Amino acid sequence: MKKAFFIITLITIISGLYSYSILEKETGNIIGNLDPYSAAMGSAVGAGGFRLFDSMVNPANLTGLKNGFGFQGTGSFLMDSDNRSLPMYNSFDAYCGDAVYASNVNTFADFAGGIYYKRVISDFELAASLQYRPQVSFKADYFEQVRNNRNSDDNGYPPKIAQNSIESKGGINAIAFQTAFKYMNIGSLGLEVAQLSGDSEMERSVIWTPEAQDMMNDTLNDTINTLEREFSAIQFIVGANIHFSKRFDLGLSFTPKTEFDITGNKDGVDVNNVVFVYTKFDSTGTPLDSLTFAQYILPMNARIGFSFKPRNIMQTVMNCDIEYIKWSDTNPLYDDAINYYIGVEHMINNKIPFRFGFNYTTSYGLHEDSGFVFANEITTPTFTTGTGFTFLDKFTFDISLEYSNRQYEALDLFMDSYYDHEDLWENYYYLNLQDRGWENPDTVKETFINLKSAISFKW
Amino acid sequence: MKKLLMVSLLIMLIISIAEAKIDLNTATLLELKTQLPITDKQANDIYDYRFYNSFFQSIYQLREIESIDQETLNSLKPLVSVSHYDEKDESAQRRDDIYYLIERLGSNEGLQEGMSDIWEDYLISPRNINKLAFSDILNLPNTSPIDVAAILNRVAVGDSISSYRDLRKSPGISYYGAKNLQNYVYYKEQPEVRDIYFDYQMKYNDSPYGDSEKEMYLESMIRFDYPDSDAPKTPGIKRQSYWGYFNMESDRATMMNKLRMRYKNQFKAGFIYETPKGSTPIFDSNSKTLFDEGKFYVGYENNINFLGKNFLKVYAGNFRATFGEGLVMENTDSYSPRKTGYGFNKRITGIIGDISRTQEYALRGIALDWKRNNMNAVVFLSSDKKDAVVYDSNENGELDDDDYILGYINMTNRFSNDELEESEAFFNTEYDDNVNQVKIAPRLDALQEDIIGGHFEYTPFIGTHIGFTGYEAVYDREFVVPEEDELKEILIYHSDYFDKWKITDNEITSMYSTKTTEYGDKDFRRVVGFDWRTVLNNTSIQGEYAELEIDGRLGKIGDDPSALLISSYTQFDNLYLITIYRDYDLDFDNPYHRSFSESERFDDTVFDKLTYGLNNTLLNDMYNNSAQPSAEKGIYFETRYQFHQMLTLNKAYLDIWERKSDARRGVRTEVKLEFKPIHQLRFRIRHKHQVKRYDDEMERGMSQADETELKFITYLSNYDKLQLGYIYARVLQPPYLSILSNPSEPGAADMAQAQTLTTGDMIYLDYTHNFNKNLKVIGAFSMWYANGASFWDFEDIELDFDHSDRGYKMWFNIHSRIANNVYLSIKYKYKQFLTRELEFRDYNDIPEEGEYYFQRVERKENIVRLQLDWKF
Repeated sequence: MKKAFFIITLITIISGLYSYSILEKETGNIIGNLDPYSAAMGSAVGAGGFRLFDSMVNPANLTGLKNGFGFQGTGSFLMDSDNRSLPMYNSFDAYCGDAVYASNVNTFADFAGGIYYKRVISDFELAASLQYRPQVSFKADYFEQVRNNRNSDDNGYPPKIAQNSIESKGGINAIAFQTAFKYMNIGSLGLEVAQLSGDSEMERSVIWTPEAQDMMNDTLNDTINTLEREFSAIQFIVGANIHFSKRFDLGLSFTPKTEFDITGNKDGVDVNNVVFVYTKFDSTGTPLDSLTFAQYILPMNARIGFSFKPRNIMQTVMNCDIEYIKWSDTNPLYDDAINYYIGVEHMINNKIPFRFGFNYTTSYGLHEDSGFVFANEITTPTFTTGTGFTFLDKFTFDISLEYSNRQYEALDLFMDSYYDHEDLWENYYYLNLQDRGWENPDTVKETFINLKSAISFKW
Repeated sequence: MKKLLMVSLLIMLIISIAEAKIDLNTATLLELKTQLPITDKQANDIYDYRFYNSFFQSIYQLREIESIDQETLNSLKPLVSVSHYDEKDESAQRRDDIYYLIERLGSNEGLQEGMSDIWEDYLISPRNINKLAFSDILNLPNTSPIDVAAILNRVAVGDSISSYRDLRKSPGISYYGAKNLQNYVYYKEQPEVRDIYFDYQMKYNDSPYGDSEKEMYLESMIRFDYPDSDAPKTPGIKRQSYWGYFNMESDRATMMNKLRMRYKNQFKAGFIYETPKGSTPIFDSNSKTLFDEGKFYVGYENNINFLGKNFLKVYAGNFRATFGEGLVMENTDSYSPRKTGYGFNKRITGIIGDISRTQEYALRGIALDWKRNNMNAVVFLSSDKKDAVVYDSNENGELDDDDYILGYINMTNRFSNDELEESEAFFNTEYDDNVNQVKIAPRLDALQEDIIGGHFEYTPFIGTHIGFTGYEAVYDREFVVPEEDELKEILIYHSDYFDKWKITDNEITSMYSTKTTEYGDKDFRRVVGFDWRTVLNNTSIQGEYAELEIDGRLGKIGDDPSALLISSYTQFDNLYLITIYRDYDLDFDNPYHRSFSESERFDDTVFDKLTYGLNNTLLNDMYNNSAQPSAEKGIYFETRYQFHQMLTLNKAYLDIWERKSDARRGVRTEVKLEFKPIHQLRFRIRHKHQVKRYDDEMERGMSQADETELKFITYLSNYDKLQLGYIYARVLQPPYLSILSNPSEPGAADMAQAQTLTTGDMIYLDYTHNFNKNLKVIGAFSMWYANGASFWDFEDIELDFDHSDRGYKMWFNIHSRIANNVYLSIKYKYKQFLTRELEFRDYNDIPEEGEYYFQRVERKENIVRLQLDWKF
């Protein structure tokens, strides 16, 4: 048994993970859940969660934990497959499909841990916890090769002339203190105060190859752009659970807008002096409002959810959440959005939990084309499943798998005109190395597979 | 006496001892804790088991609780009892009993447009079979007119049907008719059911556009080879198509929310709001959007004693109106080929509340349906705005309110008018600032349509009726279909493509105009008709004749475009035979016509085949979502015959028809045979054969398609099922006809030089596993090598179309019954295939060595469907 415990612990720690989309390299990926129970339930734990990290959705969930001291260690492994393609046209000028020109598969890992204590005093149940967890991730990687058109007629590999890459690291972590109390069987209130701090480093580079330098007689200069930022803020979350009956619970949580203090530099220039995007223009095209790299805001969100425990030959729980995210807090170009979460747990043979769920979330991509900045809405449907078991009486192991697939349009990350040097290309006359703007965007297909595992222990 | 006293005392003693036992199904937690020799945890577990799992059916069920071991059970045996107890009300119990039928109705919902809701209501709240009218029974699934006549003939002579067994004895009723009817009716006593019902349903569907829709949106609106243009010739630009302009890459999900309420079978109300791809979600809607885009109804149905027995139906809001064979009026948006009106291809005649997904042909207003003795009268009024195709008839360079309408259009994606106008302005600017090249376009709510209609039916004796149906639609704008030459100018963007206009395009020129040189100017469309039915022994003969009145002489028969359908249905115990003859004139352009046909209107016209040459690619929807049948003349036979318990001809049909627009003849036959050596094993073979040919000197083309399917099904224990199948398809056809110069003038057609033979096959496997009665998982895998052939795949809740060069797909569906009245299903499908797009699209460019190679496009699709049903 000790061996089994050791192996499971190892799996849990090693598989701690997050990996993210290149889409969120600057704005960061807000981590919605950290617990495999919650993940398997489609992140629908607004009104009921039975693991420590379910309280990051609604701090009042803390009172759903068992009495005494407890610990949870969690990690995940997320694989992001990013296929970026060019539009293809037939001889009638009709768009007829996409040709994938860069395919990236990245994996990232992370972990979180927390402890809690809960006890009953008269009609009250009091609980408190301390957690260390990732809150926003800036991790993202992207690589593409630029090859010229030599040798392609001979079925040979054309030489690589440049290596393009974007590497983004870092994240914002939270040290969160939570407290919650429950009064009799009526309901509970919870509060989280979290110190959010972290940093991010992004490097965007175009590195010419020796072959390219040879062709251009060493006249090419590599390009490296950097953005380094440090973040700090205090975040509050309040939540409530109302226990209507043994069958029905209602949960509410509210997270106000969180504005960060930021220091850092972009290409060596203080971030306060670098305009990030223009968001509004007057009739003459003059920017009326702008954001800078020194502004970073997590949007206000409010969530309402219910948990329903019907009579079923398999013990069953169904959770549903609706979340309102005020994306316009972070950028006036964004519309506010509503996310949907649903999850079900069936106890097969009343012993083995089979959890499955679904969620539908909305986020935004920001694009700049010829000085015109706009946002496009991106929806991500996610299918989730998972299970878990208890061992050695005090330990609980949970595991979950989330699968998301989304498709959206985006601008070329490395515009073509940058490579417009006649000596680099064969039959240069026939080439049209112009930037593809929003009239001819890339199609990006992304698949996320996220495996989460956790061990909970209660003394 | 003493003995009696002793026995009584003994019984009382036993009763008192029995009463002293703790009833596991009613005991309080405190009683369990204090009156049984168990721990608090065990008491809690017993209580929770009862609360969260099920009531106890037997004491031995205690062993299913982890903390109760055999020893504890033995000690509890003499102390506890189990009474019969169930929280389910009669309705829930009934739903349990007929759940498989509801599931089956739900799986056919896509084809039936809301009819399954109606049938489900009658399953839950059955009606007294002895009090139903002819149409009430006939409107139920799988009942034939002969079955109905058999029932009514018994009731008419004062007899009453007292049970299912009694129903089976009705002279003339078929085994299947009675069997299908049994759950929709009651006999003597009404089952105890609740009075008020609510049904909420949410469906989320994240799936890609279909191939034809995608082709429509992808086609560039600025043609590279636009000959008259001095505008710069740009390479392909995605933004110059609707797909690119509207950023439709992520426009995938549709969401539907539907709420129904009823009080018994008397008061009914419903509301539906569907968010098609790319449109306003329900939470972002305002009250006006909800009213305009949503659908709702309130209705009342009841027997009323007023100067005799009357049955009255009144509906306000959206309603469905269907009469006869659907020649004059059947208002649905969906087209269904070979809709015979029998079996599961039924049409519910009369008036019903409508919260189906139909949008374009929805009726909104008030409808009254009154039945009395042997008469039935229906009057309906509707006032609604319809989407329509508008063209620049006044040639002022704009599509404005003064322009004429070409026809109705059922749009795949209902972009707002502002969005459409902005996109057209963009395309015009991209092409040339000074030229308005977009001369025709769809518009939302472009047309005010006010309908008054009615139906009167007289039944002289049981099984026989004659009915008259008519409606007049008054418009606030003119429908004008120009002459062929002018029409080509409007529809096709350049004269180079005019020779793609073929004789089949007569279907477009023969569309209805409110303003013609011959008949003058009017602001309405008027369709009238009559229908009849008579049941003679085991045969029912029925039909409908309708005319689209164009010459102003309403009473004269035979002087206007007309449509005729006559059908007969003969029934024996193990056999039925359907014969349908139909003859629809080409210019019988009734937008509410939905009768039997092989193909939909505008098949093979420029709306179908010339997407790349249309002035506005969105006109493709005229064909894509066409709901009207094409003009055909033909005869159809269908039969089912059970040779033996082990061998059944499940369905066989033969259709021979001629398409009116180009006199193309077709023959189609399909045979399905099932061999069942034992109940658990089924072997099925299906063969389809279809020939379409032109019978002229030119022998322009003949296509022949054959498809053979072998299927093996085995039913395992616990209702699990394993299914294996193989399909082989063979298509012999001329080279793509529409690419040839094939004008309508006789003798001017190109001759097809050769036939091409395509073969393809597909193998599939699916497995259904029931973990228990509340959790079912279905998984399936299929793979095909189609080479351009195509296969229809009947998945569990949808019909999928698999084609392309080669591909595979896999899917699973989790059906979970969360509680007695809450159902959830989640389906995920992954499909990967190589398209044949470039081969088809590059047809008239001869590849030169080194210039081209035919790249096939690989496509990967992910489909997620979610459905939640809450019945309370």
